[in-house]
Amino acid sequence: MKKEQPPVWVNSLLDRLAPPDLVEEIKGDLYEMFREDITQKRPRAKFNYAINGLGFLTKHFFWKKRTNYSTSFIMLKSYFKMARRSLFTYRSNTVINVLGLVIGMASALVIFSVIRFESSFDSFHTDADNIYRIVRVTGTGMKITESSELRTGVSFPVPDAFKQEATSINSITSVLFIGGALVEIPDASGAIVRRFNETNSCALVEPSFFSMFDFKGTGFKWISGSPKKSLEKPFSVVLTTSASKKFFPDGNAMGKTLKIDKRNDCTVTGIIEDFPANSDFPFTVLASYSTLRVLAPKMMDDWSSVDDSHCAFVVPNKGFSVAKIEEEMAKIHKKHASFLTERFYMLQPMKEMHFDARFGNYNGRTITHNTVQALGIIALFLLLTGCINYINLATAQSTARSKEIGLRKVMGSNRVHLVAQFLIETFLVVLIAGVLALGLSELILINLQFLLSIKPSAYHFADPVLLGALLVSVIAVTFFSGLYPAIKISSFSPVTSLKNKFITEAVGGFNLRRVLVTAQFGITQVLVICTFVVVIQMRFFQNTDVGFAHKAVVNVSIPQRDPVKRATLEQQFRSQSFVSGVSASFTLPGGASRNRNYQGIATADTPPDKEVVFEYQSIDTAFLNLYKIKLLAGRNFHQVDSSHYLLLNKTLMKNLLLGNPEEAVGKPVLRNGEKYTVIGIVDDFYSNSLKNGVDNLAIEMNPNAYRTLSIKLMIGNDKGSITEAMAEVEKLWKATYPEFIFDYEFLDENIKAFYTQEQKYTQLFEMFSTIFMLIGCLGLFGLITFVVNRKQKELAVRKVMGASVPSLLLLFSKEYIWLVLISFALATPIAYYIANEWLNNFAFHVDLQWWLFATPGVMVLVVAVVVVCAKSLGAANKNPVESLKYE
Amino acid sequence: MSRIYLGELEELVLLMVALLRDEAYGVAIVEQLLNQANRGLSISAVHAVLHRLEEKGFVKSKMGGASEERGGRRKRLFKITAFGRNALEEVRDTRNAIWSLVPKTSS
Repeated sequence: MKKEQPPVWVNSLLDRLAPPDLVEEIKGDLYEMFREDITQKRPRAKFNYAINGLGFLTKHFFWKKRTNYSTSFIMLKSYFKMARRSLFTYRSNTVINVLGLVIGMASALVIFSVIRFESSFDSFHTDADNIYRIVRVTGTGMKITESSELRTGVSFPVPDAFKQEATSINSITSVLFIGGALVEIPDASGAIVRRFNETNSCALVEPSFFSMFDFKGTGFKWISGSPKKSLEKPFSVVLTTSASKKFFPDGNAMGKTLKIDKRNDCTVTGIIEDFPANSDFPFTVLASYSTLRVLAPKMMDDWSSVDDSHCAFVVPNKGFSVAKIEEEMAKIHKKHASFLTERFYMLQPMKEMHFDARFGNYNGRTITHNTVQALGIIALFLLLTGCINYINLATAQSTARSKEIGLRKVMGSNRVHLVAQFLIETFLVVLIAGVLALGLSELILINLQFLLSIKPSAYHFADPVLLGALLVSVIAVTFFSGLYPAIKISSFSPVTSLKNKFITEAVGGFNLRRVLVTAQFGITQVLVICTFVVVIQMRFFQNTDVGFAHKAVVNVSIPQRDPVKRATLEQQFRSQSFVSGVSASFTLPGGASRNRNYQGIATADTPPDKEVVFEYQSIDTAFLNLYKIKLLAGRNFHQVDSSHYLLLNKTLMKNLLLGNPEEAVGKPVLRNGEKYTVIGIVDDFYSNSLKNGVDNLAIEMNPNAYRTLSIKLMIGNDKGSITEAMAEVEKLWKATYPEFIFDYEFLDENIKAFYTQEQKYTQLFEMFSTIFMLIGCLGLFGLITFVVNRKQKELAVRKVMGASVPSLLLLFSKEYIWLVLISFALATPIAYYIANEWLNNFAFHVDLQWWLFATPGVMVLVVAVVVVCAKSLGAANKNPVESLKYE
Repeated sequence: MSRIYLGELEELVLLMVALLRDEAYGVAIVEQLLNQANRGLSISAVHAVLHRLEEKGFVKSKMGGASEERGGRRKRLFKITAFGRNALEEVRDTRNAIWSLVPKTSS
C-alpha cells in the first residue's frame, strides 16, 4: 500500500525559509505527527501538517530576525566605522573622488531636470495624447517630402467647415495668435492711462479651447468667469492673473475695458491663473475668437489666404486613424477650394509641437528629440567619468591598502565581508557626493535659467521624482564604481600582501586602469572636438558677409500709414548730425524679427498651379544705397516710377527662368494676376539665417506697405553717443506718434537673434567640455599623485644614479601621453560623425578640416601633460636624500 | 529576586524535558504536555520554547538517530543542564516557601 504523503509545498516552503540547521528536525517532528494522525485515523492529517508547518514559519521568522539582525547590525556599524576611518586616512583621494562625482552628478541632475522639463510640455491636459494640430503642407502629394513647404496656419473657414462636415473629428478649436498687440487701458473718461506692447502673449481663442486644453495636471483654475461664458461674446477678453496685475495694478480687473490695437474696446470677462511655464501656449491675454467673426467676416470665407498664427487643434473621434482624418480633410478642402491643388492639411500630434522645429510653436522655441537624447547621453557620460575616476583611484590605492587587507584576512575576515566593507566605503563617498550635487545642481539651475530656458517649478529638495532619480543614481554609481575595486582588493592573498611585495607596480601591459583612462579621455576628446567645431561654425555664422551692410543700423517701426507724418519724420532724422541715411521699407533685409510676407509670382509661361512663392518687400529709393545692396543689372527705383515695377533677386530670377540678369531686365511677370515689369536684378543676400538657403525675393516700391524705418548711424561705437543718439531718435518718434510705444532694434542684434539657439548650444558645449576636462584632470591628478608617492624611492635612486629632472618627468608623462594619444585616435571618427551630422543641418557651414580636430586634440594633450608634470615636478626636484634617509 | 527568569510555559516545557530524560524532543514533549498537564500546544510553539531555553542555557541538545517513522530524518534530543535543573528547583523552592507562608484558612 502506498503511504500517504504530507503536502509537498509545505516542505519546500520550509526548505526555503526556515534556518537550514533546523529544517531537518522540524520536518522530522511534523512527519512523525502526520504519521500518527494517519495511523490514529484522525481527520485532516494533511491540513494539520500544513497548519503546524506554517506555524513554524512565523516562529522561525521571529527567531531569524532576532538572531541575525543583531550580528549583521554590529557588522554594519563596524563597516561604517572602518569606511569613515579609511576615507579620512586617504583624505586627498576622498576629496578628489567626491569632487569628481559631485561635478558629474550635479551636471547629470541638471540635465535630468532639463529633460524632464522639456518632455513635460503640455502633457498635463486630459486628452494630451489625443490632440492633434492641423498643419499645412504645400507640395505635390499628401506626404511630407524634401520640397514640401511646412506651415502651421489654416485658412479661416477651415475649422468651421471641418467641424460641420468631418465625421472623424470629435472636437476642433481654433487659435489666432497675435504677434504684437498694443494694449491700452483707458480711465473712466476714456483717456488712455497706460500702454503695453504685448509682443508675445495675445491670442484669440474659442470657449472650447479650455475644454481641449484643460491644464488638468497643473491644478489650473479659473479665478472668475467660466470658459463657456467668458469667451462666448465678441470683444470679451480673459486675462491671466499676471496680466491683470500688470494692466490693472489697483485691483479687480473684471468688467473693466481695455483697448486692443487702438480699435477694439474689449471687456474683461474672466481671470485665470497663469499658464504653467511648460506650455507652448504662452498666452496672458485671451480674447474671444468670435471677435474675429465680427471684425473680419470676409476673411471667414477666404479659403486661400492663410495666417500662420491661425492654428486649429482637433480631437479625433474614436476609431479614426490619423490617415483617415487626413483623407477626409483633403476631401472637404477639395470641395471648397478645388483651385488649391497643392495644399494639404495634415495632423501633427500636439505633443510633438515642442519637438518639431519644422512647424514651430507659439513659444517660438523647440527642442528636437535628438537634442534631448544627446543631453541624456552626455549626462550618462558625466556620471561615467566620475565613476571611472573612482575606479582608477580605488584600484591604484589598493596597493597601499594591501597590508590592511592582508591583516583583515588573517584575522578571519572573508571575502564577502571585505567586499561589503569596500562597497560601504564607496557608498559613503557617493552619498556625500550626491547630497552636495543636489545643492550644486539647484545653484546651477538658478544661475543658468537663461541658458537652459527652464523654469523649475519647485526646489529640488522637495521634488520626489528628482530625489528618486538621485537615489537610483547613487546606488547605481556605488555598484558601478565600487564593485570592481572591491572584488579586486579583496582578492589579494594575505601572504604576499604582508610580505611587502605589492610596492612595485607592473609596468606596461594591458590593464583596466589604462583602458578606463583612455575611455575617459576619449569621451572628453569627442566633446572637446565637437565644441571646437560648434564654436568655429558660430564664428562662421557671425563673420560671413550677409550681402548687405548691417552695421550701425537701427530700426524703428512706422505704426501709422499717414505718408505725410512719415516723410516729415524721415526728414527730421536726416537733419540729425549723427544720421547718415534714412530709408523706409516694408521689412528689413534680414534679421530674426522682421515682417514676413510671402506671395506668389509667375511668368506668362508658367502654368497657373506652379507659381513661385517669394518673400515680399517694398522699399524706397534710399534703401539699396543704405544697405549697400548690389544691383547686378537694371536700375534702382525712381521717385516717379509707376507702381508696377519690380526688382528681383538672383535666386528668384533663376527660379522664374528669366535667363541672365541682363536678359531678365524689362521682362514682364505676373503677380496677383497683374502685370509687372522687372526693372532690375539685385545680388542675393542672406535675409534668412545661414542655416537656411536664400529665399526668392521680389521688391516693389509701394509707400502704403512701409512699416519700418532704417536709420544708419554715423557714430563711433562708444556707448555714450549711441545712447544720446537713441534718446534723440526716441524724442522725434514720440513727437510724431504720441499714441504708440517706441521700440527700436539694432539690425546687428536682430541678425544675431537667428543664432540664439546655436549660441546657447555653444555655451552649453563649452560648459560640458570644461566639466569633462575638469573631471578627467582631477582623476589624472589623483592617479599621478598616488604613483609619485609610491615611486619616491625609485626616483631618488634614479636621481642618485644621474637621471635628469626632464628625463624623470618624461618617465611619468610618457604613459599618459600615450593614453591621451590613443584616446584621440578613438575619439576622432566619432567626433567626425557627430560634427558632420550637426553641420549638415545648416545650408552654409564650415568644412571639416584636419586642424578642427588637431587643435582641440593638442589642447587636451597639453592640459594632461601639464597636470602630470605639475604634480611630478615636485617629486623629481626633491632632494634624493629625503626619500632615502629612512629604510 | 532571583536572577533566573523562567516563564510559566518555559518552566512547563523544561519540566517535560527533565521528565523525558533522554527521549525529549518536539513531538514527545507535545504529547507529554497534553497527557501530564492537559495543555494542547502546537509543535511550533514548543520548538520556539525549546530554542529559547537552549539560548538561555537551561537545556542542551544534540541530534539523535534517524528513524523510519520520521521519514528518515533525525530528531533533536534535548537534555536538561545542571543550570536548568537548579533553575527548576529554585523556582519550586521559592514557590513552596511562599506557599508555606500562605494561611491555610484563607482558601
